[in-house]
Order: sequence, then C-alpha cells, then structure tokens
Amino acid sequence: MNAVRRARSLRLCLWCGATVAVEVSLYLSYRGHDARFHWFTHFFVGASAALVVMAVVTLRTGRAVASPLVWPLLGHVFAMAPDLLFAGGIAHQRWMDVFLGHISSHFVPGRNLTWYAVFLAALVLYLAAVDRSAQR
Amino acid sequence: MAVAEASRSALDDADPARQRPGFLDAGTLPQPAPRLSADLPRSGRRSVVFFTRPDGLDDLCRSLATGRLAQRADLAVVVSGPGKCGGVATINDPVARFGRAYGLDRPRTGGPPVGYAVLDSRGLIRYRTLDPTVAEHPGEVDTIVRAVP
Repeated sequence: MNAVRRARSLRLCLWCGATVAVEVSLYLSYRGHDARFHWFTHFFVGASAALVVMAVVTLRTGRAVASPLVWPLLGHVFAMAPDLLFAGGIAHQRWMDVFLGHISSHFVPGRNLTWYAVFLAALVLYLAAVDRSAQR
Repeated sequence: MAVAEASRSALDDADPARQRPGFLDAGTLPQPAPRLSADLPRSGRRSVVFFTRPDGLDDLCRSLATGRLAQRADLAVVVSGPGKCGGVATINDPVARFGRAYGLDRPRTGGPPVGYAVLDSRGLIRYRTLDPTVAEHPGEVDTIVRAVP
C-alpha cells in the first residue's frame, strides 16, 4: 500500500517538476526580451481561466482534477500563443484576442495587479470546489 | 512581480503595457509623421525612425549595419545629442523635438525617448514604442516593418 502511495507521489512530483521547469523556461524566454510584464499578464489570465474550468470539472465529477498544475500551464501557453507566433515573425493583430484577450488583457485598469487579484479569486474558487467535492 | 518591476530600465515606459505592444495602430495611430528632412519620410517607402541617446548610438548603428532592415525600409536615427550613424540618415535633436512630435512616451525617469517609430509607405505612423534594448533585437523591428503596407 505504501509502495503504491509512494509511486503515486513520485509521479505527482514529476508532473509538478516538469510543469515548474516549463514555466521557468517560459519566464526566462520573456526575460531575455525584457518583457516580463507580458509573461505575468498571460500567466495570470491563462491560469485563471484554467482554474475556473478546473472548478467546474471538479464540481461536475465530484473529484479534484488530475495533474492540477498542468491545467494552468496549458492555459498559460494558450494565452501566450501569439507571442510564439511573434517570435516566428508574425506581428500581433487584433483578432488574436481570441487567445484569452492576448492584446486587450494588457490594458485593463490596474494592469497586472488586477489580473493577480483575478488569479487569486480563481484559485479560491477552485480550492472551494475541491473542498466541497471532498465533503460529499 | 515586485522583483521584475524593480529591475526595469530607467529608459522603459512608465506604463509597461505601452512598451513593445507588438501590434499596429495602437491608441491614436495611425497619424501623419512629421517630416525629419526634405527627403524623409519618402512617399512610397516604409520608414523606421530610431530615437536614441548619444551613449546608445554606437550599439544601435552597429546593429543597423549588420541587419537587413535597410532593404525593407528607409532608416533614420534621431539622436538627442552629437553623433553620426554611418550611412544612416542622422538627425541631431538635443531638445527631443522629434520625440515629442512623433508622440513617443517619456521614459519613466524622464529625458529624451529611446525607441522607434515605424511609418507605412503613405507616411503614416503605424507603430511607436520606447525600447531601450532595440539594438539587441532588430528582428522584432523587422517583424513590425513587414506587417506595415
């Protein structure tokens, strides 16, 4: 039983480590372009969207989602997709707001502090959903 | 976030959202570009106007000399002091008159702007930004220039 639990923990750690490593590399890639502000915006927006989806899935299935750190990473990569295109030589265009408001999300009042607050609210929402599903 | 904010350059825009947005026609753009000289901007040619300070002129000129930007657009350098930039048209502007005329923001600690503006072939400003590290990534300017008609 302990061996099974240990293997599960190890697998979870591998997921966590890989996710954190990817986020750090994304951050460093933005730092190289002196554009860390953009990394924060897209991280908060993408992760917030993922947390809301995770909360809905948790409430519907009655179980916390698997690999919970991977969902925010996927949300982040989706939100920053136009920056990957830019690195490939394609300038931003207004329609790229389909990527979780990639253009307009930078211009909300309060800038990244606002998105930080949204991220915290989404995190609380997800944790509340997990707590509720555990009580069932 | 606090660490990232603290490590920003003194020449950066006070509002980071306005720096290197990556898309054309932000805010009040497009708008007609003031003339830099009798020849610039030229009708029918895209232009890039760089704004720099004397201590950044050498790096910028080296970057422009090795890049292919000149094949796509007319280039001009407005420097807020003395100096010349090889074969690139150079305008000495110690009072930062052109920086204001082109609508570039003031750096967060004040003084003349360091950045660039991209003009389309009709002489309209389509993109402008502060960018104190522009000499390190001329490819980004090239991406914007290619997006401009």
